[in-house]
Amino acid sequence: MKKTVTLSLLVFSCLYADTQLDEIKQQLKLQDIKIKSLEQQAQKRSSLNQSASFSQNAYLPDMALILNMSAVSRDVKNSEYENYSIPGFIKPKEAEIPFNKNRGFNLNYAEFAISSSVDPYFDVFAIFHLHPNEFEIEEAFVKTTSLPYSLSIKAGKFRSSFGRINSKHQHSWYFDTQPVIYEALFGPDAISDPGIQLQYLAPTDTYIMLGVEAMQGSNERSFGDTERNNLYIGYIKSSVDIGDELSILGGVSLAHGKNTTSNSTDIYGADITLREQLDSYSALIFQGEYLDRSKDLGDTTDRQAGLYGELIYQVNKNYSGGVRYDAIVKNDTTLPPHSDNLERYSAMIQYKPFEFSRLRLQYSNDKTKIINGERQDINEFILSLNIAAGAHGAHSY
Amino acid sequence: MKKILLLALISTLTFASIRVDTTYAGFGAIAQKIGGDKVSVYVLGSSKYDPHFIVPKPSLLSKLRRAELLIINGGGLELGWLPPLISSANNAKIRNGGSGFLDISHSINMIDKPSSVSRAFGDVHAQGNPHYILDPYNVPLIAEAIESKLSSLDSDNADIYKKNLENFTKQWQIYLNKLDKKMLTCKDKKVIQYHELFNYFLNRYGFKNYADIEPLPGISPSSKHTLSVINTMRDKKVKIILQDVYHEKKTAKFIASKTDAKVELIPHDVGAVKSADTLENFYNTIADRICQ
Repeated sequence: MKKTVTLSLLVFSCLYADTQLDEIKQQLKLQDIKIKSLEQQAQKRSSLNQSASFSQNAYLPDMALILNMSAVSRDVKNSEYENYSIPGFIKPKEAEIPFNKNRGFNLNYAEFAISSSVDPYFDVFAIFHLHPNEFEIEEAFVKTTSLPYSLSIKAGKFRSSFGRINSKHQHSWYFDTQPVIYEALFGPDAISDPGIQLQYLAPTDTYIMLGVEAMQGSNERSFGDTERNNLYIGYIKSSVDIGDELSILGGVSLAHGKNTTSNSTDIYGADITLREQLDSYSALIFQGEYLDRSKDLGDTTDRQAGLYGELIYQVNKNYSGGVRYDAIVKNDTTLPPHSDNLERYSAMIQYKPFEFSRLRLQYSNDKTKIINGERQDINEFILSLNIAAGAHGAHSY
Repeated sequence: MKKILLLALISTLTFASIRVDTTYAGFGAIAQKIGGDKVSVYVLGSSKYDPHFIVPKPSLLSKLRRAELLIINGGGLELGWLPPLISSANNAKIRNGGSGFLDISHSINMIDKPSSVSRAFGDVHAQGNPHYILDPYNVPLIAEAIESKLSSLDSDNADIYKKNLENFTKQWQIYLNKLDKKMLTCKDKKVIQYHELFNYFLNRYGFKNYADIEPLPGISPSSKHTLSVINTMRDKKVKIILQDVYHEKKTAKFIASKTDAKVELIPHDVGAVKSADTLENFYNTIADRICQ
């Protein structure tokens, strides 16, 4: 009896278990289907458009903040320094000193740089230059992107591509001070005006670029007659490589405009840059320019010229150093003496912790300035910090 | 005489090849395989140099000005040097959005995508690790992208490009089988490297990277970080240091001397070292030097 009961119980339980197993199997299958459909739903969700209905975030232009500040030590009082003159070029109290003006601390500028594609035909670029008490549109221009025959047109307010350093912003110079011939002929803004530019790249194996510009000519140091657009600029630039490491870029430029006496000013420029690449992060760079101006003042004509040459050694990613000589070498004007032999020697070392920040210590012995009627021998140290935060485009060669 | 001149002119016109510029040598080698004699390839960035910091020499402008196709790595690798060149080259074809602009990274599954991005982390690429040329399995994908672009630019020769791609892919499969077999023989799979340059190769063949010599991407080594690298290596018994051709080599040598490890000079692209003269030899050289 006991046996039969156990046996039947066993059979029964087995049967029962079997049906249970079937049920579980079926449930599993059902769950499988459910999981699959859930997976599909999830996939669908992730590919669904989840952006806000009218969002334009993806079209935001590249924006960057460039900040430049310095600590300056100089053996001339601030009150005297701001009245310096450069004979034949800058009269006392007329000097514009936007950078590193004061002994002690200076916030030179905060720059807001914006660039973007406008559409398939135009790129736009603007730099808003903010001095402590001043807002300035340093540049704001459009550039064509799809003209045929290797042509491009720039229109708006821009820094002219005259010479070598003219088109470069202060923060991309190798020294904190502007070469004296540029300061004398154009002032801190260099040739920068509303105008239009046409550039052509020749279809040759060697780089040859030709450019012409028509500008308003508002720069009063050399031009300044703005009754109509009176400044015309032309240049040719070419570059050759010698081997993989050495590249040479040279150019000649001409600017023809009308000065405040409504007579013409002609400026000729020649520039050369040599760059010997030693490895990925190390290079030896020489850059030099010569500028010659003849300014017709009606009765007389001022003939003046100046140059600078700088040698930079980039040691590695972080360190570089350099020396510069800049001078006024010709100053044929109707002015009394102290107008020749205006020269300056500078040296700098810089440390870049990273691509976007730079500390630089610069020393200059400056014999280009007249203060209180005497030519001064000014010693100056500038410790500057420059940063570029945000989406700041790479610099050109 | 005139006839001969005319004939010569016509023949140069009919055989005029498509001018292809590539930012780096690996793409150049692949483009040559796909384009054959229908293309003339120029590589803008020498493999001697750090691919992030190619000098934007004006001579490159005259190359870009005449290019009909520009092939770039993308993923931010050219951000520091190429955009101003493209902008000054006055060539609408090779601009982003032009008919002759090809960003290969759009055909690649990028690894090491950071979950958050800030310049405070150094030179991180938001799009992921851009050094995907290091994975030999990416070569067919690159070839495909180039073939499809060439075919659309030069539809008359599309059949030729297609045929070239088929042949190349077949050969590459055979080569990969060989390479895979060789890589099975590697015993020591623990390495460190200077920059996260070789991750694609390391991932493909199951190597583990324990540390980078640079503390953050693009930041030069510091003594504190170097010490921590040495400690990690001692701890994990890492004996292989992967050094690239363009970074300074002192730190790696110093670390090696403290850890009994070996410094291996690994090419990051075709032509970076002498033995990496072709595409296959590029990966062969890596395999030979990494596999111990």
